Amino acid sequence: MPIKLLCLCALAGLAGCSLVQPVQPWEKGRLAQPEMTFQGDRMESKNDEHVYASKEAASGGASVGGGGCGCN
Amino acid sequence: MQLKSPRSILLAALALPGLHGAAHADTPPERGEITLSYLDYQDRQPGLDRIAVHSPSVSILAPVAGVWTLEASLLHDSISGASPRYHTAISGASHMDDSRIAADVRVTRHFSRGSLSVSASRSNENDYLSRALGVQGSIASADQNTSFTFGAGVTNDRINPVNGVVHDERRHTVELMAGVTQVLGVRDIAQFDLTHTDGEGYFSDPYKFLDIRPRSRTENTALLRWNHRFDASGGTSRASYRYYRDTFGIRAHTLSEEYVQPLGGGWTLTPSARLYSQSAASFYFDAVYDPVFGPPSPPNFQFTPGLLITQDQRMAAFGALTLGLKAEKKLGADWVVDVKFEDYQQRAALHLGGTGSPGLAPFYARTWQLSLTRLW
Amino acid sequence: MVRALPVFGIGFGAMASRCEIRLAASDETEAHRLAAFAIDEVKRIEAKYSRYRPDTVVSRINAAAGVDWTECDDETLALFAYADALFAASGGRFDITSGVLRRAWNFSQPRVPGAAQLAPLLALIGWGEVQREGQRIRLPRAGMEIDFGGFGKEYAADRAGTILAGLGVTHAYVELGGDIRVLGPQPDGAPWSIGIQHPRAGEGTIAAIEVASGALTTSGDYERYFDAGGRRYCHILDPRSGNSVDCWQSVSVLAPVATAAGSYATIAMLLEDEAIVFLDTAGVAYLAVDRHGQLHSKNVGSVSY
Repeated sequence: MPIKLLCLCALAGLAGCSLVQPVQPWEKGRLAQPEMTFQGDRMESKNDEHVYASKEAASGGASVGGGGCGCN
Repeated sequence: MQLKSPRSILLAALALPGLHGAAHADTPPERGEITLSYLDYQDRQPGLDRIAVHSPSVSILAPVAGVWTLEASLLHDSISGASPRYHTAISGASHMDDSRIAADVRVTRHFSRGSLSVSASRSNENDYLSRALGVQGSIASADQNTSFTFGAGVTNDRINPVNGVVHDERRHTVELMAGVTQVLGVRDIAQFDLTHTDGEGYFSDPYKFLDIRPRSRTENTALLRWNHRFDASGGTSRASYRYYRDTFGIRAHTLSEEYVQPLGGGWTLTPSARLYSQSAASFYFDAVYDPVFGPPSPPNFQFTPGLLITQDQRMAAFGALTLGLKAEKKLGADWVVDVKFEDYQQRAALHLGGTGSPGLAPFYARTWQLSLTRLW
Repeated sequence: MVRALPVFGIGFGAMASRCEIRLAASDETEAHRLAAFAIDEVKRIEAKYSRYRPDTVVSRINAAAGVDWTECDDETLALFAYADALFAASGGRFDITSGVLRRAWNFSQPRVPGAAQLAPLLALIGWGEVQREGQRIRLPRAGMEIDFGGFGKEYAADRAGTILAGLGVTHAYVELGGDIRVLGPQPDGAPWSIGIQHPRAGEGTIAAIEVASGALTTSGDYERYFDAGGRRYCHILDPRSGNSVDCWQSVSVLAPVATAAGSYATIAMLLEDEAIVFLDTAGVAYLAVDRHGQLHSKNVGSVSY
């Protein structure tokens, strides 16, 4: 199926990007900043995700095992 | 005559502690934090307030012994208001007052090139109990520029609606996730995740008039996130796109962007925008009613065994736009206070392509979130 | 359109040198607040490894020379491991036990020590003979000394730079008496233009090197020296002979971190005629001024590590 192939290519492409110009440890000052990570404000994103999951059909994507909300 | 290559000097220097900024995909957090938050949510349709939620919560993050991180949170939702019985219509019988308590905990062990975490959560309200377990792990490449993540979760739900339409229904869901995080440059990092979810059990909404959904639901999600640092302003762009698809026939796109801009004096301003569009479930029927019997009967409605039907607007085709603004202020080295406002609107007209499901009233929601964090 | 942040220079004294932190910040208060963290780290290292205070780990090791073992913490052990790497890569010319030669060389008086004066001191030099076991170290003969003066300043510059980077500073450099660690270019994206001191012309510069990130350090024969009999004697001494080196007026090296750049520069001075081959093999960019004032350089256009 074309969409699965696209996803696999994206995964491989992303992982292969490091071959182009690897970033050295001493250059990672910016990447260490909290806003550059993918963690984010835990409570805030949990609250946002909960609001969206109760008002929209799509949910999830960023983490697993978060449990459901009472909004069938 | 040299005994060792001159390049060994650079390598030896880099091995010295704290000589360069290290950004690992899973650097354990150095400071603990405890956060008190309050969420105030109100949604409405034209001329009518619907659901109001007041939600205080507390969360804690504690690094332990340098290699463990413990996270826990506790939340209490007070929910009141009326939700539609079908499409966007409200009847007096649908008014409710509910309270929900949710707790979750996660324990993470950090390794030199990865991490492993287990989590558990529980959410309880008078008609619904949800319990979940999850495990997540990551492995980074030697240069820490690439990191692979994998996760699995299982959720068990028990539904006992107050109107007694069904009794002791259950739902069992398994989630699997795989992803890769890649440093693309000194100012760029991206993450791509694929999630597969399989659910079996009760998916219908017992409070809706005429709602019969399949007893299984498989969902697939692809999520791409990209963070970029702008040196000139010191700001960071955080963009994401999510594609969602499930066996209910729903396909959804979510595009969001937030821009984190530190200002002087410990202030940070973060404007955000989110665009969402979903197609209708295959068993959703439009807000067009039988000419003889009127709402909520669908035209020429006939109940047949195995019929799947929903009038829940959340299964309709529509689009949504969120605009948000968050202001954060650091108070000294140990305290942070922040406030976030979001305005959400959901309309059939915002659907990608221009036309969503007919007959749906626009839906609006506004959220305020206030939090106070103490770091130690 | 977002304006570029203003740049502030915060000067201070440490490690017997004039030091400066130059960084872009939203306002002066913020610049001082950020620099304070870095300055604290420089002072911490200066205090921790001071030869003059009797309670530091270095002083305790030296006081126990020929007698006892001393326990070291992780940072000190890491510095010894680095000193060991430098000893190996320099063919024994970079030796942190060579500080005893200070007893013979006094640069306030133009007197060249004789072989008789140097011989007993040479007997106290030998990193290869220092005993190390786990977390402990022992100098085998009374009178032996170790000190981190050979790369302490560069190490402090790197640590201070890391702290600033951890605070989110991206346009800055840390300069400790001529050893510079650059975190990132100026706010408009242009590299910093750093002058290399002219080895013979006091306050003048011999070249300006553009650095966007990385480190630039210089080792020269003009820091502590005297001239006698038509030649210059400087503080860079070969531990095998006890004599001052005499080949280069100065060597400046560009490398990703100041600790490495400083070691390359000092070892190049110690290697004398073999310096260029050493620096070329190391693959670093450099600017060296020989005894006749001639410049030898490689890759010192705009540099970014």
